[in-house]
Amino acid sequence: MTISRLPTAALSLKQFLQRQRILGIYRNMLKTIRQVPSEGDRKYLRDWARDEFKRNKSATNPDAIRMMVSQANNHLEELQKSLALARS
Amino acid sequence: MASRVLLQCVRSLGRPSLRLSSANLAVRAAAAPAAAHRPLSFAADSRRPRWLGRSPIPSVGVLCRQYGDLPPLTLETIKDRVMYVLKLYDKINPEKVKLQTSSHFMKDLGLDSLDQVEIIMAMEDEFGFEIPDAEAEKLMSPAEIVQYIADKKDVYE
Repeated sequence: MTISRLPTAALSLKQFLQRQRILGIYRNMLKTIRQVPSEGDRKYLRDWARDEFKRNKSATNPDAIRMMVSQANNHLEELQKSLALARS
Repeated sequence: MASRVLLQCVRSLGRPSLRLSSANLAVRAAAAPAAAHRPLSFAADSRRPRWLGRSPIPSVGVLCRQYGDLPPLTLETIKDRVMYVLKLYDKINPEKVKLQTSSHFMKDLGLDSLDQVEIIMAMEDEFGFEIPDAEAEKLMSPAEIVQYIADKKDVYE
């Protein structure tokens, strides 16, 4: 379990780092979503991000986790690129 | 002695009004240099009744600058704003769990780390400054958030 609800079981170092990384991605995503111009889009994206992260919260397979992390990174990059395009 | 002090006060207040009012050249020349005591004091004397006749507030308004700024932060206001933001958060059910400053997000309110990230982002929005990741993940209760913001904004009590 990477994002555990309560820190009951001690996480191994790799799991701990992964957890921090995922929280960092979530943070960056929320910060990027803040820059979206329209309020309705912002709300939709925030709910989407929240659902995605919560849905996969209890995944245990490390390969699946890594795949989801890279997927999240791709989404984030896409969002940032389209925002940069929209701004220019 | 007292009259000289009074004249100096009037001169310092009256100088901008002298510039503003359509004064003759002599008075303007007297108003510009700061060292011209005697002609200026006579000018201030002669001008004083007229200056007092007008409302003195505009001339003082020219002297002081006005800056726009937010009201100063106190621990009380920070606490109120933090609790207000938390009340607006939809994951916290106010009936089921009483929200206090000492309630731990994870242990008492049953939130998880994703919710805690969202709460910290909401606090960043509310107070208008960035909270770095390393310190954000340690803030686990409203009291800690208030303490952190007070430290960052130099709010003492």
